[in-house]
Amino acid sequence: MTHSLHRFGSIESQRNDFVWFIYQSKGINDVDFEEKARRAITIAEKCGSENWGDVKLGCKLKCPVNEIVTNLSRQSRIRGVFTKREQVVEFLKEMKKADLGLSVIISGLLDEVLPSCEEAELTPHTINYSLGVWGKKDLLPEEDVLAVTSMCGHHMIAANLVRKKMEEVKKGRKSAEKAAEELAVLCPCGIFNQVRAARILQEAAVKA
Amino acid sequence: MVQINRKLCVGCATCIPYCPVEAFKKEAEERKVYVDEGICTNCYVCIRNKVCPVGAIEESSLDNFMKQFQHVISDPTVTSEGTGVPGRGTEEAKTNDVTGRYGRGEFGICIDMGRPGIGCRLRDAEKVAMAVAQAGVVLEGPEITPLATLMTDIKTGKLIDEALDTNVLSVIIEGKCPKEKLPDVLMALQRVEKEIETTFCLGIVSRAEQEEVSFFFETLEKLGIPKPFRGKVNVGLGRPLIP
Repeated sequence: MTHSLHRFGSIESQRNDFVWFIYQSKGINDVDFEEKARRAITIAEKCGSENWGDVKLGCKLKCPVNEIVTNLSRQSRIRGVFTKREQVVEFLKEMKKADLGLSVIISGLLDEVLPSCEEAELTPHTINYSLGVWGKKDLLPEEDVLAVTSMCGHHMIAANLVRKKMEEVKKGRKSAEKAAEELAVLCPCGIFNQVRAARILQEAAVKA
Repeated sequence: MVQINRKLCVGCATCIPYCPVEAFKKEAEERKVYVDEGICTNCYVCIRNKVCPVGAIEESSLDNFMKQFQHVISDPTVTSEGTGVPGRGTEEAKTNDVTGRYGRGEFGICIDMGRPGIGCRLRDAEKVAMAVAQAGVVLEGPEITPLATLMTDIKTGKLIDEALDTNVLSVIIEGKCPKEKLPDVLMALQRVEKEIETTFCLGIVSRAEQEEVSFFFETLEKLGIPKPFRGKVNVGLGRPLIP
């Protein structure tokens, strides 16, 4: 899956947007995954992960945290978002100390993620580089809408719904934060960054 | 399959903006909503999130293999039978520190057809898969990536004919190539991107060693492809066979 790799919007708006993953590899190191995942979630929460989830159960904004944690299975996929570089550094340091043996992955701007690894005294093993969009780019929605829709890399959040939320914020029917949370619950993985989304919705409302 | 119960639908159109591919349409006369089956990808966003206030959106059986494939590929909460993991089912770089799937001297190719949010006919996925296979990509098999289950020949990327018109929210073409083939693969993508009716997002997987990264960046420069500023970084904490 590369659903966290290709995010769009201005570089500045991507600067405080990091996706974290804890991955087991099926049949290789997935024994006792549930317990290890619980420890990893505890660390992520402690470091201030704003959103996270398990694709089978949903994100923490939709499903109670206890329910997600209780129902973890060997097949669960755990991932979430950080909104500050310091959180990433702390998370990496803690995960290194915990030594769970699971793969840890951070998606984001390379000039933020790579120095974070260095600060945590980690040497990256592999990088999946985003070379952006190819093909019929004229089909893409406007930049601020794409910046929001692409935060759910499985594209469970429709461009028209984002436009509707932008309109609601602009007309003062709801706050940008409330609108962003309503979008976030549609992303079952928990990698939608509602903090960044609220900022984008607010800026769009002011611009309009 | 997604369908609208006409007896329940009140034509409020609440559901319309929720569909990622705009498959909900409104009838001109009775003002009720219907699903354009040729567009719907069976991603089930509408069903999972109960977006209809009167419960008029219903699920009916996926009555053929292509409908089932479309649903598995487009709904990330569903586990693919072939790969045993949810959704389009690939771990690519994420577990490379454990699996060693991509070694030194080779590059991984991840082509997200239909992304971001546009959707894609499998006809276009076939075009792109065949182009990169011809340029030197060894495509991944069905145990790794669901699209391979539709290939008549994994060496060429050709899909079964009955798959070609199927619309999916996205599908990944995955494989890898030796270092020396990377320029040919990228040039093949530069050609084929002009022949498709959709978009794709391209990810290239590299080991993080300086030699590999330098080669990759030099190749991009030679081909006039902008240097990437986003990446998914496997930080190297994984170990096989944890006691």
